[in-house]
Amino acid sequence: MASSEEGEDRKYRSTLPGFLGTIDTFISRFEAMILAIGVILMAANTIINVIGRFVFQHSIFFTGELNRILIILITFAGIGYAARYGRHIRMSAIFDVLPTKMRKNLMIFISVITAITMFALCYYSVGYIISVAKSGRILPSLQFPVYIIFLWVPVGFFVTGIQYALTAVKNLTEKDVYLSTHVIEGYDDDELEI
Amino acid sequence: MAIKIAGIMIVLLLAGFPMMVPLLLGAFYGFYELFSGFSKMEFMVQQMLAGIRPASLIAVPMFILAAEIMTRGQSANRLIDLVMKFIGHIKGGLAVSTATACTLFGAVSGSTQATVVAVGSPLRPRMLKAGYNDSFVLALIINASDIAFLIPPSIGMIIYGVISSTSISELFIAGVGPGLLLLVCFSVYSIIYATIKGVPTEPKSTWGERLGAMKMAVWPLGFPVIIVGGIYGGIFSPTEAAAACVLYALILEIIVFRSLKLRDIYAIAKSTGLITAVVFILVGAGAAFSWVISFANIPQEILGAVGVDQMGPKGVLAVISIAFFIGCMFVDPIVVMLILVPIFVPVVEAVNLDPVLVGVIITLQVAIGSATPPFGCDIFTAIAVFRRPYMDVIRGIFPFTVILFFVSVALIFFPQIALFLRDLAFR
Repeated sequence: MASSEEGEDRKYRSTLPGFLGTIDTFISRFEAMILAIGVILMAANTIINVIGRFVFQHSIFFTGELNRILIILITFAGIGYAARYGRHIRMSAIFDVLPTKMRKNLMIFISVITAITMFALCYYSVGYIISVAKSGRILPSLQFPVYIIFLWVPVGFFVTGIQYALTAVKNLTEKDVYLSTHVIEGYDDDELEI
Repeated sequence: MAIKIAGIMIVLLLAGFPMMVPLLLGAFYGFYELFSGFSKMEFMVQQMLAGIRPASLIAVPMFILAAEIMTRGQSANRLIDLVMKFIGHIKGGLAVSTATACTLFGAVSGSTQATVVAVGSPLRPRMLKAGYNDSFVLALIINASDIAFLIPPSIGMIIYGVISSTSISELFIAGVGPGLLLLVCFSVYSIIYATIKGVPTEPKSTWGERLGAMKMAVWPLGFPVIIVGGIYGGIFSPTEAAAACVLYALILEIIVFRSLKLRDIYAIAKSTGLITAVVFILVGAGAAFSWVISFANIPQEILGAVGVDQMGPKGVLAVISIAFFIGCMFVDPIVVMLILVPIFVPVVEAVNLDPVLVGVIITLQVAIGSATPPFGCDIFTAIAVFRRPYMDVIRGIFPFTVILFFVSVALIFFPQIALFLRDLAFR
């Protein structure tokens, strides 16, 4: 399962045309990297802190702050990545028994509403970051401005919004029902992934 | 406002929206009504980011990472082997072994889905071959895997602890008793089932074979020692125990068993990151939502209308049980917790209930609801993993639901089942 997903990353191609597509493909790889490296760093950081506390009677002073930064990065890189592969949790039991035509229309509706929600959150999170930047708050141990740790938040919302918007377009232009830009329903190859 | 928010959310959830959307739109609508317009939406983003901030939440990705490492390694098979060698030969031995192996793996991994895959997948063919009916086998695997919810580590308990500001260590220890009680009940049912259906027993293992299996399983058995022992002994916080588990899982699967290579870690970490993100965006959205409903005094409104304040502690526990059970029959347990826990926190405080007991009861209801038709999410895990039709999966579930109902009632009337170990360790 792991290796097939690895391959998926490499062969992932954005559905956007031209230069935009290149950027989107690049973002997708970058998201995958943040997810993997973020989790590895978080594990290393937490483990070293535990060892430090027990062996050297010393906690690392910035462990908490570093983990906080990593969890924000992982969450907001991950929502875009999950949207690409149709991996957001949803209750599809009723959806699945509807006739194809209704499923397709409902999927378009779901994608459009979700995209609008994400774009709105992108807009408001930019506003939030500006207000944090103006306040001049500094992380107490790492000593850099707090707003920097939120910079990926609007990007994550924006990328997720784009993915859902593209899913709507895909459903309008293609015959099958698309759960995301790259997942056609019925091909449950990802379902086993835990 | 409460009715409008509930209406929006239920419709969107059932229509199949990604579950973050109903939570987010519920919160959006609440902020819009409360501040008459879009002036405070940035504050909503702030609430979302504050929601994923608590340091104890770091235990969630760490336990997921440890479980991912072990599901791809050998730990599960070694635990299954150990259990089979010791109790495989009794009447209904395969079924009892399945339940026991699920419980043991739950003590190692904390994820129901991981348990269904790691224990259910290898044991189902063996049970079918031995003559068990598939509906019984599927129902047993789903329900026994749900014991993982209660046995520490438990991701649901971490989330409950964070939302309700309850000690996660105490919750973990209090989950052990009810988890073991469920195992005993499922085992008794399995033995009765095997006796009535006349399922043949398995050959008995020699003590030599048992010793061999013990040697093989001694390493994976270190996980419960780290988690329960570490927390019980006051050595680890849950997050530290989770980090220790990751380290231990890495040492085990890479160095001792050599079942994973260092380069596999990248893929495992990526998949952990993805699961984490999907859960954490819900936690963030849930935090914004929960801010809205408490600011608008919605819990008091709803609970006042139901008349909970006159019910007394046992009545409140019954209402909580029913609400969570029904919620989980329809949507994902984490979403149910994110929505309902903030609603019930004020009344739990008002009638002076022990938040740890409430947490264990909620976790139990979440486990039962997730395995109950029409839409309990474990049913769909089983459909995906075993590729069986919906009706086959749900046919055998009813007897388990009855058992679970009795355990729920027992827990309300005899809270010591959960609190005994907790009091021993922390009071």
